[in-house]
Amino acid sequence: MTIELDLMGHLMRRAGFGATRDELEQHVAKGYDATVEDLLTIDGQEGIVDDLLYRYLPDHQGGMGMAGAPGNLLFRMINTRGPLREKIGLFWHSVFATGYPKVTQGRVLLDQIAMFREHGMGSFRDLLVRLSMDPAMIMWLDNDENHAGAINENYGRELLELFSMGVGNYSEQDIKECARAFTGWTVANTKYMKTMVERDSLWPYGRVSFRFEFRAEDHDDGEKEFLGERGRFDGTDVIDIICRQEATARFVSRHLYHFFVADEPPVPNWPYEPPRDPEAIDILVRSYFDNDYNIGAMIRTLITSDFFKSNDARYQKIKGPAELVAGVLRLTGELRQPEPAIQTNAFHMAFMGQSLINPPSVEGWHQGVEWVDTGTAVERINYAAEHLGDAANPGVRSMAASVLSGGSGLSPEDLVQGCLDQLGAISVSDNTRSALVEYAVREGQVTWNGDRADATRRVVEMFEMVAATPDFQRE
Amino acid sequence: MALATGSAQTASLNYVMTLGVAAMEGRGFYYPVDTATGPNGRLYVLGRGHDGDPRGIQVCVMDVDSEYYGVFGLVGEADGQFIWPAGIAIDSEGTVYVSDEHLNRISVFDASGTFLLKWGNSGSGAGELNGPNGLAVDAEDRLLVVDHRNHRVQRFTKDGDLISSFGEQGGGPGQLNLPWGVAAASSGDVYVADWGNHRVQRFAADGEFVASYGGPGEGDGLFLRPSSVAVDTEGFIFVADWGNERIQMLDPDGRFVAKSRGEATTSPWAQSFLDANVQEAEARSESDLDPDLAFLEGNVREESHHTQTYFWSPTSVKLDAEERLHVTDRNRHRIQVFERSR
Repeated sequence: MTIELDLMGHLMRRAGFGATRDELEQHVAKGYDATVEDLLTIDGQEGIVDDLLYRYLPDHQGGMGMAGAPGNLLFRMINTRGPLREKIGLFWHSVFATGYPKVTQGRVLLDQIAMFREHGMGSFRDLLVRLSMDPAMIMWLDNDENHAGAINENYGRELLELFSMGVGNYSEQDIKECARAFTGWTVANTKYMKTMVERDSLWPYGRVSFRFEFRAEDHDDGEKEFLGERGRFDGTDVIDIICRQEATARFVSRHLYHFFVADEPPVPNWPYEPPRDPEAIDILVRSYFDNDYNIGAMIRTLITSDFFKSNDARYQKIKGPAELVAGVLRLTGELRQPEPAIQTNAFHMAFMGQSLINPPSVEGWHQGVEWVDTGTAVERINYAAEHLGDAANPGVRSMAASVLSGGSGLSPEDLVQGCLDQLGAISVSDNTRSALVEYAVREGQVTWNGDRADATRRVVEMFEMVAATPDFQRE
Repeated sequence: MALATGSAQTASLNYVMTLGVAAMEGRGFYYPVDTATGPNGRLYVLGRGHDGDPRGIQVCVMDVDSEYYGVFGLVGEADGQFIWPAGIAIDSEGTVYVSDEHLNRISVFDASGTFLLKWGNSGSGAGELNGPNGLAVDAEDRLLVVDHRNHRVQRFTKDGDLISSFGEQGGGPGQLNLPWGVAAASSGDVYVADWGNHRVQRFAADGEFVASYGGPGEGDGLFLRPSSVAVDTEGFIFVADWGNERIQMLDPDGRFVAKSRGEATTSPWAQSFLDANVQEAEARSESDLDPDLAFLEGNVREESHHTQTYFWSPTSVKLDAEERLHVTDRNRHRIQVFERSR
């Protein structure tokens, strides 16, 4: 494997959902920087025909319950030609974690994630404004109950604690003033929407659509003191002030590092544990301010940096369930068209601990090693091995044919290396490689003369074995 | 009356009533996709449901007076079950046919919903099926089946023996691209909602191409992804203009006459729900469910999503014996009924 191919595999695992060997070679031919620009600029809609999804899968459009939305997101992760767009939607869904129980419909959450996909690589300031106007977020953190003269601090608190600055960078009074600034930011038909949610009602004609509403008469327009500044601030003014803070730059930078470079401890531990790579955070902080808080520019800085390209960053992340499932399905060639199996595959993400549109709390999912326990480990290994070990899958057949493309035989060592190459130019530890070779040696040299059935069986078995290794759980 | 008269035609399209209510089980519909009316006067509403949820995939039997007669059908692959139910039609004897575009088969039931038989094999050869959806019964009680992934229409006997076939993949006259709905006119002509080509095509009984109506666009007489077509005894053509979230009426020569985005009201079943749930009814009555749509910047799908009276994904138009037009309003889980003025 060339250095370029190895690096490209790293890029596509982190800025996408992995890639086949053939795709990696095309990217290498284009060059690293040009591929980065493609990732940053290709519209996430490329490769997705909503009309087809909506024709066959009504709930991808109607979003009545919890089931359709994860299926829609999974289909997009598998089939988009702009994988970074989909990944950034997943990123912000993890950071601004918003859940089903307070809205009891999938559609408003799909709309929120679509907003992340579309605006999540633009200005962080604009993103926070959109987030603050997002009906699902308003319901999730009770801003519909945040009234002039009777504030509800929930959104103001989480905006500062979990969405922008982190604990220790503001006072309790700042939270109150922040909440005052967002009074009157609510959803239309508040009473009816809350009644529908409380009763989980779909009557008489399905879920009712949410929409943002600003009520001037319920907005506290008085003077406020927030983070040392005074004025008659509203929500957008508060966000402007938040975005000027170095704490915000550091918080966003650490999130990006955590998601794209290497697992950090859970967010609640950040005030007490320093970043794994403080210099990398400094570089990202400079990029934040140099580029007017533009997230896409920060990602460009990140994925073209030495700390990202370094061997030290390889396989330092445990794949999240969505990343694992989408990555496997991109390799196997399954679900390229709408079909019922999208839903069963989406359920597997939940079985692995990531029920999209239904995070465990506003903190989102604890990631890294916390993805894996004895139950989810079995589910993760079985899922990957079952799909990559199924020669009926077109992608598996194609990869197997590539492994067997030259000559008429393969040594056990070459069989292992050929399979690792095809599975996205991945690397494994020496121990894992030895175990895989030892397995291959049991049946000796792979040979074929005309009939490749048995050789194909050996290759597919090796795909299955690789998929079952601990190394495959990392990216 | 939310219609527009775009030509010198005097005919108009009048809203009559709304039927049904959302329900995952029993009385009501969950993502209904098609309807058919039997000689017994009963309306059979085919619920598509949603993958991952076993509820909602059923046929609900009612009538236009909102009498409820029960449901039949379940999710699954066994006899009488469905995975992706797509189309429903009823012959002159009241026998009910349901297509399944995932299982590639037609299931046959008696009027009471008792399973009788199934037929259909997957493939692209003569008589084989790849994604059967739209169904219509012709004047001789033969079944027209839109075999949509094979881009053709096949005509079968009631027992599934192939009689004839027409259409092939393409965008030229007589060619089809993922067609969906089909109608058998009293003249013997066959009209097909050519979904992928944004048009309705008309064929003679022998499959010869006769005419094409529409083309891609948002203007009067143009379509985006039409899903269904119906033709009345005078030759007026009704189209479910799915991508434009509206229905259109054309005259017998295919000229635009009228259109509607829907004007649903409270159905009897909806009213009975609201009567029994006073708290919801009160909150609903105080709400603005037909807002100013300017913030949606002309996106008709979003407008339909945000407007309770509008169609949201109209998947089927079917005429009953009284020539009332039943529009299946899929994402709102109801039927809106219209009629042409005489």
